[in-house]
Amino acid sequence: MTNILEVRDLATHFFTLDGVVRAVDGVSFDLARGETLGIVGESGCGKSVTALSILRLIPPETSRIVGGSVRFDGRDLAALSEAEMRTIRGHHIAMIFQEPMTSLNPVLTIGTQIAENVVRHTGVPWRAALERAREMLDLVKIADARRRIDEYPHQLSGGMRQRAMIAIALSCNPQVLIADEPTTALDVTIQAQILDLMLELKEKLDTAIVMITHDLGVIAETTQRVVVMYAGRKVEEAPVEALFAQPTHPYTRGLMRAVPRLDAEAEIAGRRPRLQEIPGIVPALNRPIAGCAFAPRCTFATERCRAEAPPLVTTSAGHAVACWETARVLEAA
Amino acid sequence: MVAIADDTDAPRAVPPAATRWVTAIRRNPTIATGAVLLAILVSLAILAPWLTTDPLKQATINRLRPPSERVWFGTDQFGRDIFARTLHGARVSLVVGLTVAAISSVIGLALGIVCGYFRRIDGVVMRVMDGIMAIPSILLAIALITLTRPGLAVVIIAIVIPEVPRVVRVVRSVVLSIRAQPYIDSAIAGGTRGVKLLTRHVLPNTLAPLIVQATYICAAGMLIEAALSFLGAGVPPEIPSWGNIIAQGRSFFQIAPWTILIPGAFLALTVLAVNLMGDGLRDRLDPRLARRM
Repeated sequence: MTNILEVRDLATHFFTLDGVVRAVDGVSFDLARGETLGIVGESGCGKSVTALSILRLIPPETSRIVGGSVRFDGRDLAALSEAEMRTIRGHHIAMIFQEPMTSLNPVLTIGTQIAENVVRHTGVPWRAALERAREMLDLVKIADARRRIDEYPHQLSGGMRQRAMIAIALSCNPQVLIADEPTTALDVTIQAQILDLMLELKEKLDTAIVMITHDLGVIAETTQRVVVMYAGRKVEEAPVEALFAQPTHPYTRGLMRAVPRLDAEAEIAGRRPRLQEIPGIVPALNRPIAGCAFAPRCTFATERCRAEAPPLVTTSAGHAVACWETARVLEAA
Repeated sequence: MVAIADDTDAPRAVPPAATRWVTAIRRNPTIATGAVLLAILVSLAILAPWLTTDPLKQATINRLRPPSERVWFGTDQFGRDIFARTLHGARVSLVVGLTVAAISSVIGLALGIVCGYFRRIDGVVMRVMDGIMAIPSILLAIALITLTRPGLAVVIIAIVIPEVPRVVRVVRSVVLSIRAQPYIDSAIAGGTRGVKLLTRHVLPNTLAPLIVQATYICAAGMLIEAALSFLGAGVPPEIPSWGNIIAQGRSFFQIAPWTILIPGAFLALTVLAVNLMGDGLRDRLDPRLARRM
């Protein structure tokens, strides 16, 4: 399998009055054609900034990609002109956002918004683009596409709007779809439907997906490989089964323990134990972090952890962890 | 997986046109009142040459006649028919009001979008706008008119200039809030070009507040025109306008109050009609104020 997207040591910094915020600090990952890659981490760990950096959509007034490279289909995206970049966005790499309620333009009909994307990137006549829009609405299973195509976003429910967003994103058969928390704003049943739909369309259209989420449930259900981010860095990467079978970084373990469980295993003596939180708070990113970013919150942390950043070490097939104390962590399990 | 059907809003039955009009009026009484008033005034103005006699014809025998069956609104000190003069004056007022609203909206929209979107230009343009706003509009208009030959076009330009900053401010602030909306990010992520982004995604979303602002400017424009004409700095005296009719009747106010009251009432009514429409449209178009139907 060849990689459609290769991100190498990507670093995006924000230049604020409180100093340089290292939102993304040397993140690397590969995305194979047709693969689903999950990026998980808590709020502010750099997931969204990573996604925006890939498409070069970070606000130019305050932020800059200071290092690393993003190669799409063998081409270095950093070297492209803004005009060339526009032909990539929405055509080869599409993105869907967290807020289906506000990510559609309220004054244009759904059909217009889909057709516009098609015309912009393929140059087909408007009539053909509208036909394509209708097809896409059918594809994302919006009932009665012929009528919906002329409706405005406020006439659709949240789930339907997210479907419409997906229809726009996939209307030009992108090779990569970046989904930034696509289901966070939706209720659980709609969430499941949208995820099913995305996976189904991924198979049908052979699109690779980068699924950005803080929800381990979404990760487990949809992805093949997972990147765990913490404070702008990648701390663990593994195939999804391996990650859930043997989470190795103390942060990943903390995340998993923080998910409420319903099964009997979680119950001790008929009482459900207190949900475990990760002590402490996320470090401020506007000061350089010496050593492992997670060390202040980690129960395994040693002097070395606080002094020296751990390198990413591959432990088993495709499973890489950035931790000095892997042996002790695994023993403790 | 099954298609998600949402059958709550199956094709709605379309009610007959008459019923729809009645509901529309009941829901928006302010717009309806303003629109009806304005429609009457506009048709009177358009039909003025057919409804009335020559507004300039003097008949000194009949001067300062009170309203009667023969001369509905009475006559002025030269025996000119106030009815004819008032209806012809309506043409000036409405033309000035509408043109001022249209021109300042277009200029203000263009400048406002540029300011809201290109932050570098913003500072410069907005300071210029602040400067214009600092000058009293009547004073600025009088100065401009004194510099040139009086005429309708000059009056319109003189009123447009001080009104433009009001539009720019409204449009700019709306653009600033629109560009922070996720659908703009979404459009950019879809590869939309700058110009297209402005015309297709930003501009249509500024229209609702702009329309409301335009109605207020239309009303303000008519008032300023009347004030200028009253002061003798507006349209030349050979074109009857409400302002100069009132100005000419001023000295005879005590013996012939109709020369002032009638054009004055028309001016008040027209401004009221336009403002009613503006208020109604604001309530209707502003999503935060709109009542759910």
